[in-house]
Amino acid sequence: MFSISSAYITLEVKLGLKVTGRCAVTFKTVSGTFFYEMEQDIKRFLTSLQPEFDLAYRAVTDSYGYMWIVFEGKRIEDLLAALTATGDMVEEKGFSDQLLAAVFEFANERQGGGHQYLIYNYRRNNFYPFVPTGQKTRDTEQEMIMMSAIGEEMPFEKDMTLWYPLWDLPLKSPG
Amino acid sequence: MIIKRLRHEVRVYTKKAPWQKRDNGLTARIIVSFAILTILYLVFLSVLAYVGLGAIPIAVIAGIMILAQWYFSDKIVLWSTGAKIVSREQFPELHDLVERIVARNNLPKPRIAVINTKMPNAFATGKTPKSSIVTVTTGLMDQLETEELEGVIAHELSHIKNRDVLVLTLASLFSTIAWYLMQSSLYGGMYGGYGRRRDGGGGMLLVLLVAIITWFVSFLMIRAISRYREFVADRDGALMTGKPSKLASALLKISGTMKRIPTQDLRQMEGMNAFFIIPALSGSSFANLFSTHPPVDQRVKKLLEMEAAMS
Repeated sequence: MFSISSAYITLEVKLGLKVTGRCAVTFKTVSGTFFYEMEQDIKRFLTSLQPEFDLAYRAVTDSYGYMWIVFEGKRIEDLLAALTATGDMVEEKGFSDQLLAAVFEFANERQGGGHQYLIYNYRRNNFYPFVPTGQKTRDTEQEMIMMSAIGEEMPFEKDMTLWYPLWDLPLKSPG
Repeated sequence: MIIKRLRHEVRVYTKKAPWQKRDNGLTARIIVSFAILTILYLVFLSVLAYVGLGAIPIAVIAGIMILAQWYFSDKIVLWSTGAKIVSREQFPELHDLVERIVARNNLPKPRIAVINTKMPNAFATGKTPKSSIVTVTTGLMDQLETEELEGVIAHELSHIKNRDVLVLTLASLFSTIAWYLMQSSLYGGMYGGYGRRRDGGGGMLLVLLVAIITWFVSFLMIRAISRYREFVADRDGALMTGKPSKLASALLKISGTMKRIPTQDLRQMEGMNAFFIIPALSGSSFANLFSTHPPVDQRVKKLLEMEAAMS
């Protein structure tokens, strides 16, 4: 996961992709006390980070029943630290099977600032690109260009049939 | 054996149909046409031998016929694939597109032919750059966007520019000679040689062995050269248009890879944990050794590396 802390520089230099300062981790919600406690723990922990770390977070649940912890901040190191710590907490509480993915958002400066994503799949332990263009359409060409730029410097999903999209990402704040 | 050799000979004449795996029909028709022609030659030559013509006249006639086949090869290819030469009036956009590429790269404009089939495919034929023909199918034009079609046609134009037909013909000369040697020594062995040379059995066997090895090595070499020429044509074609990623996406579309990139949401894949354990697909290197075209993913990878280096 930490390989992204160098890969994002490559993306910026080679492709003009800038980190937007937004990223998220998502896991399936389960009904029950343990899960509820974990949720509270995560929120307490993230709030306790606030004075030191320059970032904001919010929790959203989507229509698939997945909880998203969305982070927003200026420094990628802070974002990455908070995101991985959250993932670790989910695993420690015994919910590692629920942990699905982490998502990092980029803006393509050379093509009108469109959003492009790197998805980290917790089960495969690797990254793949996702460039949505509409409701259910994606820009495969741009995705492959991303792979060609960083595919060698980080654990990357080479099997394109596993590049599952995440439509309607709740990364942008609703307000 | 004959079919093997023919297939290889046909490849030399027809010059590549880049996405053969999905369009065997076109290649099959070309192969059958050349096979029928070659069988006709062999029957004709056998008849000549039977009526008692000497070895030298037969060799001369065979030579003339091979030259004729070479000379008419593009006509045979057009005829066997059902490709029709099209005028500017019939396909103005296609003519414009080809002219844009040749004008930018200072190449002679080839003739353009179209095959009416849904299968996406393209190939180049011709003995010299000036007399060459670029053929595309209507399916290719329907499936690709203009810039992708440009990429494919530029790839075909680089085959013409690089004289890949000639390169492969020269490369296959060895193989052809070895094949004839192999055959004649086989016949020699089977019928006890032509008469008196009963003592030469061991020598015959050695010739046979050497011929087989030569043939096999040159067979692999031709395939290696052919794969290399594909990479070169990809690179040169991408340089002509300046957009390697467009050719890459064209290749992915034609090979059907594009369709395999999922649109189903990751969140709907839960309960399919086992699915994620399947190891990534990898091409067998054995199959690689024998095929004339490199796998699409390798070609795409190289094109995207080019794109990354250019940006």
